[in-house]
Amino acid sequence: MSWYIFNRLWQGVIVVLSVVVVVFVLTRLIGDPVRVMLPLEATPEQRALFEAQLGLDRPILEQFVTYVRDVAVLDFGESLWQRRPVIEIIAERAPATVLLSVVAIAFAVLMAVPLGVVAALRPEGLVDRIVVVISLLGLSIPQFWLGLLFIVFFSLMLGWLPTSGAGGIDHLILPALTLALPAMTRMVMVVRSTMIDQLNAQYVKVLRAKGMRPWRVVAVHALRNSAVPILTIAGWEFIRIVSGYTVVVETVFAWPGLGLTAIQAIERQDLILLQAIVFVTSIAVVVINIGLDILYKAIDPRIEIGSQ
Amino acid sequence: MRKTILTWCLAVAMAILPLTAFAEDIVIVIGSEPTTLDPHAADDGGEKAVNDNVFETLMVRDTEGNLGLGLAAAEPTQVDATTWEFKLQPGLSFHNGEPLDAAAVAFSVERMIDPELNSEQLSYFSTMAGAEVIDEVTVHIKTSGPDPILPARMYYFMIVPPEASQADSFAEAPVGSGPYKFVSWDRGNEIVLEANPDYRGGAPDVSKVTYRFIEEPGTRLSTLLAGEVDLVTNLLPEFMGQVPQAASMRGLEHPMVLLNADGGITADARVRQALNYAIDKEALASALFEGQAQVEAGQLLGPTYFGFNEDISAYPYDPGRAMALLEEAGAAGGEITLVSTAGRWLKDRELTEVVAGFWSAVGLNVDVQIYEFDEYLQRLFRSEDGQRADAIFVVSGNELLDADRSFSAYLAPSGFGASNSIDQLEQWITTARTEIDLDARQALYEQVVEYAHEEALLTFLLNINNIWGMSERLSWEPRVDGKMFVSTMSVE
Repeated sequence: MSWYIFNRLWQGVIVVLSVVVVVFVLTRLIGDPVRVMLPLEATPEQRALFEAQLGLDRPILEQFVTYVRDVAVLDFGESLWQRRPVIEIIAERAPATVLLSVVAIAFAVLMAVPLGVVAALRPEGLVDRIVVVISLLGLSIPQFWLGLLFIVFFSLMLGWLPTSGAGGIDHLILPALTLALPAMTRMVMVVRSTMIDQLNAQYVKVLRAKGMRPWRVVAVHALRNSAVPILTIAGWEFIRIVSGYTVVVETVFAWPGLGLTAIQAIERQDLILLQAIVFVTSIAVVVINIGLDILYKAIDPRIEIGSQ
Repeated sequence: MRKTILTWCLAVAMAILPLTAFAEDIVIVIGSEPTTLDPHAADDGGEKAVNDNVFETLMVRDTEGNLGLGLAAAEPTQVDATTWEFKLQPGLSFHNGEPLDAAAVAFSVERMIDPELNSEQLSYFSTMAGAEVIDEVTVHIKTSGPDPILPARMYYFMIVPPEASQADSFAEAPVGSGPYKFVSWDRGNEIVLEANPDYRGGAPDVSKVTYRFIEEPGTRLSTLLAGEVDLVTNLLPEFMGQVPQAASMRGLEHPMVLLNADGGITADARVRQALNYAIDKEALASALFEGQAQVEAGQLLGPTYFGFNEDISAYPYDPGRAMALLEEAGAAGGEITLVSTAGRWLKDRELTEVVAGFWSAVGLNVDVQIYEFDEYLQRLFRSEDGQRADAIFVVSGNELLDADRSFSAYLAPSGFGASNSIDQLEQWITTARTEIDLDARQALYEQVVEYAHEEALLTFLLNINNIWGMSERLSWEPRVDGKMFVSTMSVE
């Protein structure tokens, strides 16, 4: 087990290192921050001054060495846009994104598993057909539109929940649901098909023939054997939420997390902040993946990594 | 059991009620969160929206844009070519008790031009060279050369307290002298200000104002419809019918198209005039902005800007004339490149496409090139070799309400976005920049306007209105400069 975890860890370190390089190159390809950040009417002297302040006038190799050295000690520098340490901004915004993502994936799992199981019990039955239709709908609705739709329905028409911003639990519900629904619809399809496979397996027939109660067959044996694929899709959805969908949903709901901050950093060409957000997010993705691998191993000890 | 439930309900109701009971508290939604609350550091609309209520300036403008006195007690006077004298009202102070005297003004000037601060606002104040305290209420502001528009610049220049502004916390917890005091800033979520009870002329009506930050226009609209807020900025014209109240006012943004007078198909003045005649500006205003835009008066300036020429008006819509001019210039059916960007300014892509449509309608072959902002800027900025696209869409904003800023940028050949090499224009605009005699200065600008209009160096389009959405209970008059002074608002 410990060899297995060690293996996963150094693979994670390699991923993080390559992300450092890619992020550095990409952020320097997307344009000239000096040109975009200063007002159009700024004088050439002001531009030169600003460039020198950012260190952008130095050779690219020197910039890279400085960058890697600073990242190694988690010093991401000062945000061009907010003029304060980037690490401070991330520490301020990350908790909001983590909270939102965790609640969203919890919503998604709690809805997807029961729905998928019920649908699998009678494939082609009424419940199954409804679940499939809803899933297709959920898959095809763009998230920003779904968010606005929720705002119109729950905030404007019913007046139950606030439209946007952060505050109490009530502020969390709509953005979390908006993130959860598309994830749920993809998960429900996986739960459904895995469960159908399991329920047709030989051991289920044996258990049934031996007279085990149906709910026990489904909830204990079949579901447990479906756990690995379900965990895989849930982990995948969680990563997609953390590293992508929060950008859209946080913008729609003005939720003060990292996703919204990433959009703002792009708009203001704040490459220092942007590269730090990408870096932190990629670390999060690596960590989640390692966590998932450990969970697999716990669920099914037969799983091995890279040794077959 | 029933009784306990009732008691609980009452307790909950009592806990909620005080939060909603103060009708004189308002919530304002702005598009972007301030990056800092240091009024000298950033060039940032969010910061201005908040700090306009916390800090004050020597000069102010009325709702129409006419310059008047703020902290200054009298019209500023020129002592010599490079020195302006300002007299302050006596007995002013900041929220923390520091006196707002000549020393504070001088300190603010020195702070702004300090290279250490490296202010993004420097392009507004780069002519300032220093300041000198004469007595408690008299200060001399020195400029590097003659600067006739220093008083106009002072309307944009906030006076900060010398002691408080040196604290590290100043950018997060500003101390000003205005009708509102800073209370708190919950990053990412809201900023709260409260009325300054000791403000000269009495405390303002609205006792507390909360700023929220929402970039997405649809969400901004729904906060207003849900009754959560009282004022939202930058309402889209198509949403005006849905909100309880809407306010609209001529704004500072002038979309236009720069035409290359140096080369290509647009080198011929007749072609440039034709491009102006070809566009139905009324149709642009009504179709794209629901009528919330004025036809630009053919000069890049609003009627209250210094330099406005009353004798010049927009090119009329006359496609027949346009075609005749093109024919005359031998450019009928010619090809023209139109460079633009998308998502930077309100309806930039739509405006570009409709303009291209009008040009196609008079027989031109328009090659529309829409670039990502940075790519676009590379084409907008005048390069060393002078190669320019035939036509470049751009939006000019002019916070100083003075011709110099727009003309120096887009008409003087040395400007970063100029598409001509006409020495005469450079000379006029440079002379006007330092001309102290206001009549002579006005005359120079009128000359520039007339020349640029006749030569059709630009395709003049529109002057877009700012639109605000307001709750039923709020009463407020919008301003030309778009500033939202909470002290001028009241709620029923």
